[in-house]
Amino acid sequence: MGDPSRRDVRETYDRIGGHFAKTRAHAWPAVERFVDRSDGVALGLDLGCGNARHAAVLADRADRVVGIDASRTVVEAARERREREGFSVDLCQGDATRLPIASETVGLAVYVATIHHLPTHEARIESLDELARVLAPGGRALVSAWSTTHDRFERNEAFDTTVDWTLPGGETVPRYYHIYDPAAFADDLRESTLAVERVFEERGNCYGVVRAEGKRT
Amino acid sequence: MKESLMEIVRCPMDKQELELEVIQRTDDEVLEGRLVCSECGEEYPIEEGIPNLLPPDMREDAPA
Repeated sequence: MGDPSRRDVRETYDRIGGHFAKTRAHAWPAVERFVDRSDGVALGLDLGCGNARHAAVLADRADRVVGIDASRTVVEAARERREREGFSVDLCQGDATRLPIASETVGLAVYVATIHHLPTHEARIESLDELARVLAPGGRALVSAWSTTHDRFERNEAFDTTVDWTLPGGETVPRYYHIYDPAAFADDLRESTLAVERVFEERGNCYGVVRAEGKRT
Repeated sequence: MKESLMEIVRCPMDKQELELEVIQRTDDEVLEGRLVCSECGEEYPIEEGIPNLLPPDMREDAPA
């Protein structure tokens, strides 16, 4: 296997997406807190929406929510969840580094557990720059990634790895991850065109609350 | 895809507005169709109600 590409990541989730979505039932507490404390907005964005569990949370604060994921299988799982639970989200397939969204339109965004699947530093920064581009004036976003502080990791500095996903039949599918350490995560946020409001670590994940404007250079 | 989403979606490559070509629709949704970039002409399919706005090199039919 050569270097993983964003296309490989999409294909991985096309293979595991149906099973993956079933195992991801609950919203993360940090996401619920972030959304709860936000004012109402016209447009919310769930970037790397998975089965849309966080799009459902955003729907409490946004008149309209758009959910984007690279994997068709995952987007279809999100649609099933939407029909079953009856919340509203517009779904589309898209790439985090080249967002198909108009500039300065998004009041509230979550970009959760997705950036760590982008296989290069350049792609990860591009995706943060794209998030900055689509955020409206006053708009805010919560970004998260898996952290070296998680129990399952023994290293203290950021590294690239492969974590297997096991399908019900026992077949394993490798998934690329860039595991951030909290300092490297904060560095990447600051390197992008986003302004960083605060960073924190919780339950083995790095989080950043970011805005579009007010970036100091 | 709801037609009102046209206000929000753009071509992922050059961020220009898209034009909607409908093949099949219901009262509130476009089920099959295409989104065509008004600037570069790139086409993005809408299949079973879901628009595929992946850049061309990330699509299923793109060469590996």
